[in-house]
Amino acid sequence: MLPLSLLKTAQGHPMLVELKNGETYNGHLVNCDTWMNIHLREVICTSKDGDRFWRMPECYIRGNTIKYLRVPDEVIDKVQEETKSRTDRKPPGVGRGRGRGRDDGPGGRAKGIGRGLEEGGPKGQGGGRGRGGPGGKPGGIRGISFFTFIIFYLSNSP
Amino acid sequence: MSGRKETVLDLAKFVDKGVQVKLTGGRQVTGTLKGYDQLLNLVLDEAVEFLRDPDDPLKTTDQTRQLGLIVCRGTAVMLVSPTDGTDEIANPFIQPDGA
Amino acid sequence: MSAGPGLESLVDQTISVITNDGRNIVGVLKGFDQATNIILDESHERVYSTKEGVQQLVLGLYIIRGDNISVVGELDEDLDSNLDLSKLRAHPLKPVIH
Repeated sequence: MLPLSLLKTAQGHPMLVELKNGETYNGHLVNCDTWMNIHLREVICTSKDGDRFWRMPECYIRGNTIKYLRVPDEVIDKVQEETKSRTDRKPPGVGRGRGRGRDDGPGGRAKGIGRGLEEGGPKGQGGGRGRGGPGGKPGGIRGISFFTFIIFYLSNSP
Repeated sequence: MSGRKETVLDLAKFVDKGVQVKLTGGRQVTGTLKGYDQLLNLVLDEAVEFLRDPDDPLKTTDQTRQLGLIVCRGTAVMLVSPTDGTDEIANPFIQPDGA
Repeated sequence: MSAGPGLESLVDQTISVITNDGRNIVGVLKGFDQATNIILDESHERVYSTKEGVQQLVLGLYIIRGDNISVVGELDEDLDSNLDLSKLRAHPLKPVIH
């Protein structure tokens, strides 16, 4: 399971976020993206020492300033369902990625594809499994079209 | 990477409103949001910086300095929140959840 | 092929994590990604001190950002269950200085 899938699933749930500077933010997750940037609502901010508190209606936090997030226990069960249904939907393996492409640019291309294993990826063998895929991230679109492209390429080559 | 925009928060609704911005390194600024881009560069008017305790640069004090019209570089922006509705409050937790 | 940090073999096992701020968090690894962000379930923090035994704070379900992780280690549960944490004294770790 990917941390970001869990985070995505936690939308609408309360959570605690600690930043690298030690401040903590308690609020409901409205939205998050693949950079772990998050948007919280009804937030209580606590200073590093835990001695001052602010409430704010909402806030936007840049992902790279986050140290950790504490999410409600039940959220992990919800992810599993989602992950499963997503896996079912995904097209059968095919050796996409390996194979062609290497003649011209061995490194570049193959590497690009290999990134972003989705769950199951690393387990199986991961090699060329598409990027994070349909998971709802913006990048997925590109991933899919590239994937389609390869299928197309494979099916059309002699 | 191209069109991956930061849609997590729509800053449009904050334009011409007061926002509080925390920057990496610990500076804290408030001002009126005049503009922004997808990299989170922000234009703030009548910006005010909260000065920090010289002994503990992580703590802000009530001392301020006027900065006027500024651009906050997106890469340094850690946190953005509306000033409207933001208030310091008493400990809302039975035990501070912080630390 | 191995997913970067090679954490796959530790999934669903109890692991011990040391973070850049010097905390020791123990929990079950439920997932990770390329950035070594990790999901820890049923996690707790072990707080070390020279004055008293190790305190365990229940944390629950955590996502720890890879940026903030120094060490991930497999936890030998047999060995660990034989520890008497209440008698264990240790200096707290100092945070990583960048």
